[in-house]
Amino acid sequence: MTSRGEPMRSVVVAGGGIVGWSAAAALRRRIPALQVTVLPIPTGADALADRIGVTLPSVLEFHDDIGISEGDVLGRIGCTYRLGTSFEGWSDDLPDYVHAYGDYGRALGTTSFHLHWIRAAHAGRVPPFDSYSATAAMGRAARFVHPRGEPDSPLAAFGYGLRVDPDRYRQMLRAYALHLGVAEQAGTIAGIELRGEDGFLAALRLDDGTALAADLFVDCTGPAARLRSAIDARFDSWSDWLPCDRLLFAEAAAAAEPPSLDRAVALPSGWRWESALPSAAAHGLAYVSALLGDSKAARVLQTSAAVEPAEAPVTIRQGRRPEPWLRNCVVIGDAAVAVEPLEWTNLHLAHSMIDRMVAKMPDRDGSAVELWDYNRESEAEALRVRDFLQLHYATAARPKNDFWRAAAAAPLPDSLAHSLRLFRERGRLPYYEEETFTRGSWAAVLLGQGVMPRRTDPIIDIIPAEQADRAMRDLRERISQTVPTLPSQAAYLRHIVASARR
Amino acid sequence: MGERVNIVVVGGGTAGWMTAAALVKLLPRRCSVHLVESEAIGIVGVGEATLPHIRSFNERLGIAEAEFMSWTRATFKLGIEFQGWGAEGESYIHPFGTFGYGAGEIDFHQYWLRLRQAGVAVPDLEQFSMGATIARMNRFQLPASDPSSLSSTYGYAYQFDATLFAPYLRAIAERLGARRTEGRVVAVNRNAVSGDIESLTMESGETIAGDLFVDCSGFISLLIGKAFGEPFQDWSHWLPNDRAIAMPCRTETALSPYTGVIAMPAGWRWRIPLQHRTGNGYVYSSQYIGDDEAREALVASVEGEPIAEPRILRFRAGRRERSWVRNCVAVGLASGFLEPLESTSIYLIQQAITYLVELFPEREIVSSDRDEFNRLIDMEYDRIRDFLILHYHATRRSGTPFWDYVRTMPIPDSLAEKMELFRRRGRVVKYREGVFLDASWVAVYLGQGVIPEGHDLRADAPPIDSLARGMEKLHADIRQAAARMPSHREHLDAYCPMAKVA
Amino acid sequence: MTDHRIREVVIVGGGTAGWMAAAAFARFLNNGYTRTTLIESEEIGTVGVGEATIPPLITFNRMLGINENDFVAATQGTFKLGIEFVGWGGEGERYFHPFGFHGHDLEGVHFHQLYLRERKRRVMQDISAWSMSGVAAQHGRFARPGAEARAPLSQLLYAFHFDAGLYARYLRGYAEARGVNRVEGKIVDVAQDPESGFVRSVTLADGRTVEGELFIDCSGFRGLLIEQALETGYEDWTHWLPCDRAIAVPSTYPGEPDPFTRATARNAGWQWRIPLQHRMGNGHVYSSAHISDDEAERVLLANLEGEPLADPRRLSFTTGRRKLAWNANVVSMGLSSGFVEPLESTSIHIVQSGIAKLIALFPDKKFNPIERDEYNRQMQDLFEDVRDFIVLHYHATRRDDSDFWRRCRTMSIPDKLANKIELFRAKGRLFREGFELFATTSWVAVFLGQHIVPEDYEPAVDALDEDRVAQALEQMRQAYLDTAQRLPSHGEFIANTCSASGPAPFNFATGTFA
Repeated sequence: MTSRGEPMRSVVVAGGGIVGWSAAAALRRRIPALQVTVLPIPTGADALADRIGVTLPSVLEFHDDIGISEGDVLGRIGCTYRLGTSFEGWSDDLPDYVHAYGDYGRALGTTSFHLHWIRAAHAGRVPPFDSYSATAAMGRAARFVHPRGEPDSPLAAFGYGLRVDPDRYRQMLRAYALHLGVAEQAGTIAGIELRGEDGFLAALRLDDGTALAADLFVDCTGPAARLRSAIDARFDSWSDWLPCDRLLFAEAAAAAEPPSLDRAVALPSGWRWESALPSAAAHGLAYVSALLGDSKAARVLQTSAAVEPAEAPVTIRQGRRPEPWLRNCVVIGDAAVAVEPLEWTNLHLAHSMIDRMVAKMPDRDGSAVELWDYNRESEAEALRVRDFLQLHYATAARPKNDFWRAAAAAPLPDSLAHSLRLFRERGRLPYYEEETFTRGSWAAVLLGQGVMPRRTDPIIDIIPAEQADRAMRDLRERISQTVPTLPSQAAYLRHIVASARR
Repeated sequence: MGERVNIVVVGGGTAGWMTAAALVKLLPRRCSVHLVESEAIGIVGVGEATLPHIRSFNERLGIAEAEFMSWTRATFKLGIEFQGWGAEGESYIHPFGTFGYGAGEIDFHQYWLRLRQAGVAVPDLEQFSMGATIARMNRFQLPASDPSSLSSTYGYAYQFDATLFAPYLRAIAERLGARRTEGRVVAVNRNAVSGDIESLTMESGETIAGDLFVDCSGFISLLIGKAFGEPFQDWSHWLPNDRAIAMPCRTETALSPYTGVIAMPAGWRWRIPLQHRTGNGYVYSSQYIGDDEAREALVASVEGEPIAEPRILRFRAGRRERSWVRNCVAVGLASGFLEPLESTSIYLIQQAITYLVELFPEREIVSSDRDEFNRLIDMEYDRIRDFLILHYHATRRSGTPFWDYVRTMPIPDSLAEKMELFRRRGRVVKYREGVFLDASWVAVYLGQGVIPEGHDLRADAPPIDSLARGMEKLHADIRQAAARMPSHREHLDAYCPMAKVA
Repeated sequence: MTDHRIREVVIVGGGTAGWMAAAAFARFLNNGYTRTTLIESEEIGTVGVGEATIPPLITFNRMLGINENDFVAATQGTFKLGIEFVGWGGEGERYFHPFGFHGHDLEGVHFHQLYLRERKRRVMQDISAWSMSGVAAQHGRFARPGAEARAPLSQLLYAFHFDAGLYARYLRGYAEARGVNRVEGKIVDVAQDPESGFVRSVTLADGRTVEGELFIDCSGFRGLLIEQALETGYEDWTHWLPCDRAIAVPSTYPGEPDPFTRATARNAGWQWRIPLQHRMGNGHVYSSAHISDDEAERVLLANLEGEPLADPRRLSFTTGRRKLAWNANVVSMGLSSGFVEPLESTSIHIVQSGIAKLIALFPDKKFNPIERDEYNRQMQDLFEDVRDFIVLHYHATRRDDSDFWRRCRTMSIPDKLANKIELFRAKGRLFREGFELFATTSWVAVFLGQHIVPEDYEPAVDALDEDRVAQALEQMRQAYLDTAQRLPSHGEFIANTCSASGPAPFNFATGTFA
């Protein structure tokens, strides 16, 4: 019987995808006393974090925490850089917009830039919001440099994500985890043994009869949640809010000049994506199976992106498992939160969960209060990601399409309704705990999709409009002067790969 | 831009004039401010000790620090010394700022706990706070901005004469156009249909109309309490103190750059050194001690010759369910009361004003602004409440009915969970925002004897002897840096000597 | 598809070279399939090559992710800002060869050119007064410039002195923790492919066989695989560098360690002096043709500052290089690949450089000759660069006090070096070719320190106003001096950050440790 005050000693990670190996490496590296064993069972096609190699800027922090540098990734498996996503066709009559991971404009004193933009928009015509983001401009131009650090440069600081080939990335993580001393146990799960007294997992029974026992079981098996399903089947579905339940994947040859933005293109009955991985261009389509048949969906992808689907459509069920850490079993990645790849949050969420799991590692008895703290933060994070994704549908303006009309008319969860009400009034963006996306990201999507606040926030009165206009003009000028001097991403990649070799 | 909003502020104490000054300064074109106050009523000089947040408030109002300090006879405050709280004879400082450098992903106290638990002799945690160390030495110097310097790891606030603060703010407000009417309010006139307040009738017969009414009337809560009858949430079962007796005296000991909070048999006593005198007060529960007895106890314990008669105040811990109802916003004591154990009174006023400015309405108020304001104020009150209860509950004092009660009383679940979490592995529930962040909770937990049984497993990563040496070096560095600073008195004399009274 | 990836790497010999290679492979071949095995025998023992190093070692440490303080503490290390040469240009003279730079260029004109003109106008201090490392060394001070350090402190470059035995042990800990497999045993037999000559396995005294696909020969002078098995051949450079013996002895010393190496010329060679935290490393390098071993030992012991701490140890060597550093599937590293005396502390650097090049050109089982040839070409260039620079020290002298020096002064030297000297002697010009190890500062320091003084300076200098230049030089000199005087003493710095008497203290300012 385990008791209070005894630290975890052994962990079994189930799942041989990117998420499983990432979890194993992090556990081993951050808590060296843990024995970590991976049972590398393959994860399903619906385990999106394991198969989409498109990451948010947080990936770099995660790598840093476990001891992998950007140079390691670049040198070992290759990567391309991404500065954000280009959203195309999400609102009729509005141009494409970019959600980039850098500042939009510059705060004037203590006042947020987007409030000044709103004032200018109320006063008359104003260039698009994203034209005030140097990061977005660099992205549109398919250029790339690392942040420059000089405080005065419009490119002083911004975030960027990496694109990697999922398979090579998984192999790299596996090699690294093994290198750190993670053990690998081959096999498939034949049964799961529970402890009689408290229902904790005792061991995984493998097909060859081996019993894999541990203090803690980390379920990285994708939406199937092979371990968690043995003790609890609860699932909070988000289908009322996020209707897409089908994904179609395809691949095309890699572009010679990788773009710095990924694309999310709204189509009459869904949306499609396009992302330049190092060795291929990844494509996909998200849609609602009840509204669009699978064969029609394939044709949609063929006509709109000129690619052939590579495999059968993948069914997804968006939502989350409540109490992701239950007894001595914690679900990580799509096993915990399943969402469509819009905004590329799947792997980000998995990393965040891994980080939280390590930081909040309870004792072997898994006391209620420790799990409460983990579950509280996890829930807050998941719900706000859901809100951010639904935001795209709720504010999309394509009234001619049934799909989009229904999506825009869907009920809103309270937290998103509150955010939208506040923004529509005067552009205010409330902060919740555990937000994934910054206020800049919220403003980029809201303003990009044409949600115009009713009035100007009085808080910016202290900055005269003329002063703000001048600052806005100057900034655009700086951006338009700076961006053309930057190298294309392709040239930049060649340069850094070459200098790393020297 | 809409029409100007006519604001009527009722009450001219600290809350009233802070509100008036901030509104005319920050929203000069949006509002006109009319403040009514009655000299006959007098003010409760709440909270002579403050939190570091006040500096940003002053800064936004363009208040020059040295002039303000000189005018209000202020001293610097680096934290609060709690005497006799964990047990009789004990003392700890809750400093503004961090322990160690506050750098890195793992909290400093986790390393400290690890060493202690391994049997390494390590000084008290307080000695790893730059702020607490300077405070104990009665020294002071403005913090540095370079984050790699130890001198950047502490914050500071002021201890000042609140009765001089209101006139100082009044001068600013009136210079910027605020109107003031002297007199007593005899009637609150509400619209028969909407229920909104339309005007106030003064004793003189004058009617003062407005769009938005700010209730700064103090405990009496003239508008939100009396006129609207907004229910009061009573927290006296958790915070039983309901009286305070205040009495200034001459300063006899060193001019300490911190507030003293000394446990007493039926409550606690404050000691706030100003440049010209020391403020004292006994906060107690009338259930456990009579007023006369309390007065005698205070007079007997002050350090120098009293310079005024003891004055008694009555209150009740708790808050109005909503602080913004219809067209009335309550600021300060009118909205709620929490005893000044952690110097939060002025902080709460300031936050209400900040949120009001951020959510400043038009003449027609929309409900989303009001809801957001109330959500934010609730959060502020609830977090402070739990923090205050912790001070009473986490004690080993016994033998007086007061302390026996608070030690054994049931506490809010939210606090019980936080304490249990800390007891296990020293983890502190993290919030993105809120007034008392991790380091404050750690200071009070450890200062009052809530000692964790374990520590964060990530703190096990560095070799223990490296950690021990680093800790030793840090300790020496802090002592050295502190010893180079001037005395608090020297610094005041050079920086902001109080204006000579004619 | 056939898998050509190399899975088994075997390192033969566990001295400094062996464990440096093992550590680097542990870090860079952690791909999940390449296994590194190191065979060493406690019985054989190792030669502690070069206890003094040059700045590129910092890069090696960083590549491995080694915390510098931790490493210095573990190896009884100290910091090194350059080398003081005593008695080389002439008896009783001294000069300093600093790491880093001499001054700043002005309007595109090299600093040393400005200095040369100014020297024609007035009496000038030694050029090392314009080197951040040089001035700090002169004052016994040291600090590590951070990434954001500004000039002139940012010009401070450093390397380390350390106990080579402890260094090997330190790296062994690093490598073993990252999966390198250590096999204890003495190799008694080497099995080769009869056709290709490739080494297939080695057999140990206890009968065990260790097979491999790539072998790294770190077996020392004898070259167990590269020479004894593969008969690669050796190019002898003794006609340029006649020293062939060394005697080493540690001693006590009082006071703080100097942050530099000293090389003092003797009648038939020279003596090194390397301060560590716990002792002084000393050694006498000499030519057996000009002095007997016993006499050489007497000279060494007579010139110690403190008491000897052990019996003197005698070594002999032949200066030169292995004709192919990489032959078949064997790459030689350290002494098995060649030897140049440690006058400029290059031994460890050559190992490091070999490792880096091997990782960059890492083969697969097909052993494409183009990769091997490239490696060999680069290593040959490196060896020859070092050789030429060392030869300069012997050749550019006025010493006339012994046969040894007379021979050195008058011997013929490699053509490339002769050219370099002539170019400098004319107008102080220097051109760095390809990836030459030693940069302008080093050549200028030794040239001027050993009396190769240009007859004239570049005409471009005359475009600059003399008084303005004089003033700028004076400001620079003052800035170096002021900065140096504000640094902690070398001993103080070590005590605070990397004392061997305890582990490196955890850095709470950054939240990091080794």
